[in-house]
Amino acid sequence: MRGLAWCCAAFTGGVLLHVDRVPLWASAAALALVAWRLLTGRSSGRGAPLAARAALALLLVAAVLTRFHTLNGLAAGTALLVPMAALKLLETRTPRDQLVMVGAGLFLLVAACLDRQGLVRAPLYLLQAWLCCAALAVITARGLAARTALTLAGRALVLAAPLALILFVFFPRLAGAFWAIPHGEEALTGLSDSMSPGGITHLTSSYDTAFRARFALVPPPPEERYWRGPVLHDFDGYTWRRGGGFAQWRQPLEAAGKTYRYSIALEPSRHRWWFALDTPTQSPDAKVQLTYDYELLAAEPVNQPVNYEALSNTHMRAAWPLSAAERREDMQLHPGRNPRTLELAQSLRQQAGSEAALVRAALEFLRTGGFVYSLDPQPTGSDSVDDLLFSTRAGFCGHYASAFVTLMRGAGLPARVVTGYLGGEWNPIGGYFIVRQSDAHAWAEVWLEGRGWTRVDPTAVVAPERLRRGILDLFPGAMSSPQRLLHGSAWLTRLLQSWDATNNWWNGHVVKFTLDSQLDLLSRLGVRSPDVRYLGWAFAAGVLGWLALIAWHSGRDLKAPRRDPLAGAYMRLCRKLARIAPARASHQGPMSFANTVSERRPDLKERVDAIFARYTQLRFGPPAPATRTRDIQEFRRAVARLSVRSP
Amino acid sequence: MPNPAVTALAGTDTAAGDSAAIACVLTGLETIILGKPDQIRLCLACLLARGHLLIEDVPGVGKTTLAHALAHVLGLAWQRVQFTSDLLPADIVGVSIFDRASQQFHFRRGPIFTQLLLADEVNRASPRTQSALLEAMEERQVSADGTTYPLPEPFFVAATQNPHEQLGTFALPESQLDRFLMRVTLGYPDAVHERELLRGGERRELLPGMTPALDATAVLRMQRAVRGVYVADALLDYCQALIARTRERADLKLGLSPRAGQGLIRAAQAWAYLAGRSAVLPEDVQAVLPAVVTHRLERRDAAAGDGAGVATEIIRAVPVPV
Repeated sequence: MRGLAWCCAAFTGGVLLHVDRVPLWASAAALALVAWRLLTGRSSGRGAPLAARAALALLLVAAVLTRFHTLNGLAAGTALLVPMAALKLLETRTPRDQLVMVGAGLFLLVAACLDRQGLVRAPLYLLQAWLCCAALAVITARGLAARTALTLAGRALVLAAPLALILFVFFPRLAGAFWAIPHGEEALTGLSDSMSPGGITHLTSSYDTAFRARFALVPPPPEERYWRGPVLHDFDGYTWRRGGGFAQWRQPLEAAGKTYRYSIALEPSRHRWWFALDTPTQSPDAKVQLTYDYELLAAEPVNQPVNYEALSNTHMRAAWPLSAAERREDMQLHPGRNPRTLELAQSLRQQAGSEAALVRAALEFLRTGGFVYSLDPQPTGSDSVDDLLFSTRAGFCGHYASAFVTLMRGAGLPARVVTGYLGGEWNPIGGYFIVRQSDAHAWAEVWLEGRGWTRVDPTAVVAPERLRRGILDLFPGAMSSPQRLLHGSAWLTRLLQSWDATNNWWNGHVVKFTLDSQLDLLSRLGVRSPDVRYLGWAFAAGVLGWLALIAWHSGRDLKAPRRDPLAGAYMRLCRKLARIAPARASHQGPMSFANTVSERRPDLKERVDAIFARYTQLRFGPPAPATRTRDIQEFRRAVARLSVRSP
Repeated sequence: MPNPAVTALAGTDTAAGDSAAIACVLTGLETIILGKPDQIRLCLACLLARGHLLIEDVPGVGKTTLAHALAHVLGLAWQRVQFTSDLLPADIVGVSIFDRASQQFHFRRGPIFTQLLLADEVNRASPRTQSALLEAMEERQVSADGTTYPLPEPFFVAATQNPHEQLGTFALPESQLDRFLMRVTLGYPDAVHERELLRGGERRELLPGMTPALDATAVLRMQRAVRGVYVADALLDYCQALIARTRERADLKLGLSPRAGQGLIRAAQAWAYLAGRSAVLPEDVQAVLPAVVTHRLERRDAAAGDGAGVATEIIRAVPVPV
């Protein structure tokens, strides 16, 4: 019965690790079966009839197939394993069956490790491993007390830890191995390839990390921290989209500002953009393309955290005129939409003498027009820009970027919307910027002859504060109450930053520990031209070393079960006397050993008898707690003084 | 054997007279039973540990003489019962007889009401009679007609049996064997002592000429002193390890019982007392272990021999505490 309880606990632990990933019915069924088995206890040893069990199993397979359309893959496999293993409880009678249940718990643990590797889950995984090991101990050795089993399992895990470390560091991490299971396609929050009025607003309430950026030298000033993402060209009067996506020739640019080198740790977004400081000058990876509008576009969606080094320059100058195709793309306006805006654009155009003056005039219009920066403006109609500029006069960065680009296009200037992030929170503990979804931003770029694409941020005119402070600073109301609490307290913020720094370290050094990192480590250890074979050697050497450690540990266990000064001194005495007599056998008592020694060396008899008498008195005689420590000291000294050299 | 020079644990509460008396007892017994000092010492230890003794051997090696000599030298009252297949429980325990004069039943005590009972060839009696004896041995009292009669103090049973005589015998079952603290085997004497035996004639005839070295009070006092011999925790660990070892072994039918464990420690205490020590050493346990455990251990495979070799194997397998 105790074995049953323990194997149920181990299995339940495994189920709980997946409870937020598998369908609700699967974990509910598993937990219900566990509860039922525990309640019926020993009496249900016979279990349900075979036909019922088989029918239930088929039903579960069908349910999983309906939900996932496959039995393959991590998500479907886990969803199948959870209730199927619980079904095994119906026929769990012998200790062997219970071991199978613990095995299922361990298998679920492995699946959880493949699924998520966050630092916050590491203690949970460790706990589950501990629970499973203790369950194994209880089932194997009947009648083991819970505390003893847990101690035993804990010790086993501690002894196994070096092996785990060796496996982690040296086991060759070949790409495309079986553990590289593709992940599910559930949606995450983040920027997308289209923007409607208010489209970015929903991101501002998200505290999730978009990416972390660490600068090699000095970071750029706050007003330069624009992180470039999707560039939007097509506008139907309401929604901005990326556009045709046809391959275009990328303009070579001349650096006009400062160049920054930095590394980015990008969180999974399920999109193909890699973010970089505006404007990236080269692609950080062979699989990532630097497009004609200076997006970093990867071949695959970002489903795993990814780290990369990037190079950007905050001010660039175009050396060549704008191509006709690009000009056409960034001048198009949906006919018939936003007529009042186009009218305004025309009048601004007539007043302004130059392109630069036109831009200034448009910004001046936004500055003086009584516009308000707001997170929840009134909804706009299909003429969204007209509504913003002439009726609601309240909007978010997306609204203003959209309005400004429409004005520019209306006035005959090529312009486009750039989305991305602005700013980021400095983490002094980790020494990096953390950019959250709430830092999402949209701005405009206009083509000025002689300068090329120039960044203009209309939000900076409406709400200049936004450049220096995050959204959450500007709009405390946008935060949920726990976020506000975290944000308000300095030490909580600091705690959060430390946690984030640790997490970042974990993701960078543990989760993303790849074959390259392994080879890098080998070369730092002094291997000239490291390759996989060296890893194999290092791995084998590590495992042998570990085995030697275990052998030494268990050998020491056998020899000296107690660390006792008296025992130590007695062992020293025996070693000393072994030089002149046969060594003491482990079953030989002190008196008989003394006799053996005296037979060999009658000259020592008196001294040997005296010293053994002292020992037997201390070890087997009635206790004398008051003088015990001193007596043991004296015995040790007597042992040290005893000379066994021939007279 | 014990090293007299290791005197650290020399008994303080063993009166000097008692240790002299013990030496006297041992010398006396050794003049009767020649060349068996270890067995004699074991028998005495068994008595002092308040246990009962089973002497097992072929006929004619001095089983009865040993028991007889023990009674005489210790100065105890003794009775001898020759067990036969028609012996009844009442023949040992006693019987109630109607007394015409007083018009009452009177309990007439059987031979068991003595200080040392020599139960000769105990395996020839019927199981019913055996069990009556063994019950009295364990409880140290006899119940008849609803009245309980305590047996005298000290009370010691020395039973003999001949293992090779099969016809018409009832071998003692394990549960009954467990009630004997020790089983001692005498074996044939060596050449020198056998020559002396052949020349000297009947050893029992020497007995009347010897004066008892002890009496019942002294024996009781010694039995109390044995209980006071100190047993250290380290030694209890050692005994537990020895017992655990017998339970781990796959070739034994049964391991040692807790009663056997208690007996082992009592016997070791008595052995230490005989050596004049006030605390038990591992050597004392090792000395009594074969006599205490071999009759309680049975191999699964009878062809591999009885428990005799097992005791040595167990001693060798378990390290003494350091």
